Amino acid sequence: MNLLQAFKMAFKSIAMKKTRSFLTMLGIIIGVASVVIMVSVMQGQAKKNMEYFEKMGDNKITLRAYSWSDSGEDTSQQIFDYCLTLGDLVLGVTPDAEVNEKVKVVYGAKTLSVNDWDYDGGIMMGGAVSVSTDWEKMLHIKLGSDQYGVCGNYTLAGGREMSYLEVDKAIPVCVLGSGAKEQLFGFTDPLGETITLNGDPFLVVGWYNSMEIKYWPEMDNIIVIPHTFNRTMNRNSSINSYIVKAKDGPSTIEATTKLDAFLKGIFPKDADGNFINGEYNVGSDNSYAENAEKANLMQSLVTGAIAGISLLVGGIGIMNIMLVTVTERTREIGIRKAIGAERASIIAQFLIEAAVICSIGGLIGIGIGYVGTMIAGKLMSDVFEGMILMPEPFIAVGAFLFSVVLGVIFGMYPAIKASGLQPVEALRAD
Amino acid sequence: MLIDIRDLYKIYNEGKESEVRALDGVSLQIEKGEFVAIVGQSGSGKSTMMNVLGCLDIPTYGEYHLDGTDIGSLSDKQLARIRNREIGFIFQGYNLIQELDALENVTLPLIYRGVSVFDREDMAMEALAKVGMDGRAHHRPSEMSGGQQQRVAIARAIATSPPIIMADEPTGALDSKTGKHVLEILRELYRGGTTILLITHDDGIAATARRVVRLSDGKIISDKEQEVDWE
Repeated sequence: MNLLQAFKMAFKSIAMKKTRSFLTMLGIIIGVASVVIMVSVMQGQAKKNMEYFEKMGDNKITLRAYSWSDSGEDTSQQIFDYCLTLGDLVLGVTPDAEVNEKVKVVYGAKTLSVNDWDYDGGIMMGGAVSVSTDWEKMLHIKLGSDQYGVCGNYTLAGGREMSYLEVDKAIPVCVLGSGAKEQLFGFTDPLGETITLNGDPFLVVGWYNSMEIKYWPEMDNIIVIPHTFNRTMNRNSSINSYIVKAKDGPSTIEATTKLDAFLKGIFPKDADGNFINGEYNVGSDNSYAENAEKANLMQSLVTGAIAGISLLVGGIGIMNIMLVTVTERTREIGIRKAIGAERASIIAQFLIEAAVICSIGGLIGIGIGYVGTMIAGKLMSDVFEGMILMPEPFIAVGAFLFSVVLGVIFGMYPAIKASGLQPVEALRAD
Repeated sequence: MLIDIRDLYKIYNEGKESEVRALDGVSLQIEKGEFVAIVGQSGSGKSTMMNVLGCLDIPTYGEYHLDGTDIGSLSDKQLARIRNREIGFIFQGYNLIQELDALENVTLPLIYRGVSVFDREDMAMEALAKVGMDGRAHHRPSEMSGGQQQRVAIARAIATSPPIIMADEPTGALDSKTGKHVLEILRELYRGGTTILLITHDDGIAATARRVVRLSDGKIISDKEQEVDWE
């Protein structure tokens, strides 16, 4: 008997025993579909979490320093200068500070207020905006350097960054985030226009593209002005935070280590390990991203476990139906042996039969899994905006292969067992 | 000598209290072209005899030569070949595969034999025609009467033109009229030169055969040639 015959016989047998074939497939279908859906949903969520870090950009070192002994201005300047000496390791440095005082932002007839403290209803709303109490529209006045865009992972939509000289000499210029630009200028070109902050005119020299992060609209609702305005805009507070954008992963580690050593020199500790004149900390977003990745990995493992269990349940379903039909099949095998079938022919037929049933079941399972994932994605995107779910092909392929292997193992069980019997013993089964 | 068995034993649960000697030292020689009935009460060992002779079962002890070949020395694969080419089986319960139609059932041994796809359908139809079932080639067993199913089973047994036909109570499940028809087919095969082994408990049916071997408690108690009126 040749392979083609074995295939024909297998298909014949599947077509003839529709109920059994369907029940067998059902286990596989459910197993594969549930794995595809579950893993896809989990991965979609993980991707969502990672999106924030991706948009923020890698290799970002955040640095905070608080001097207790003086106003802090000198220390801040030292840090800023030191960062500039790191040369190749660093792509950009900027203070990461924000104006915390009340600011009136005016353009033409439009007036927006920043940090207009509102105690209404006993709830304090920081950074509220007068045109809307919508948190999605709150404006933030950032005190940055000429490298603010590089450090924040922003790209220019128009115009230019502030220049070093403008920052150094405290020239009143500003760069707008896409959200701030839209609120003040709508769709008109803001370049060359002047806005006033508490009555002082600031020339708009550029504006950024949107970061397009759904849950962090505040990243776009910014007005960046030279950090040298800190004294006037923020009263007497000093700048304590900086963002240092490193070249790559290794540079991030090296720069972090160097900054740590440098800051240790400025902020020494006493014998008990306590800071004497101020405190600092240095860290990179990479470590946050790593933690998030770890959390996601953990979640993936949990998903994998659940998925594995559902596949196992599907597998047990397959095993059961195969075992239930073992008697019927044993007799059939006896008949086939009596009329001259070799053991190998019988095993080949059953192998192909199981493989075909499981493959069809697996394919249907993948189909349902994809559709189910789309539906789940649609339902979830109502809750988590912008969440798009798409099954990973390798998950689908993995679940498919697993179920086929499982089905073949259990599907072949009656064949291997019964084909080893004497024909008369197999015939006796009923 | 076509079939030659010497001192054949088939013992179940040997050495235990429940030991059963289905065949208890049987020796039998059958020439090509004989029509032999093996007769005995239920439990006499006649079915075990057919299973062993048909290579469906292996004896506990003893020698079995089929057309000069020592069956005891053959591999599983070689036994399958013998069942396929040398012997055609007819069972009391027909043993047709329910999911296949008559033609497909009859084609099955031809497939296992490796007959080409072009020839085997013709051969199967020819076998069905010999038993008068060619008009029902595409009926499934569940759509046929017992007599029709048995005729399909006979067609399956003769499809490969084996030199030996072994029939275990072929008329047992049939009414006397269809039973007679089945016996008539066997006689026809015998006239064509096929060796026939007919296993039955019914002396009336055994009367069809030229030679009657009587079994009791796993032993041969008589072995007689007889005249038959149909020749």
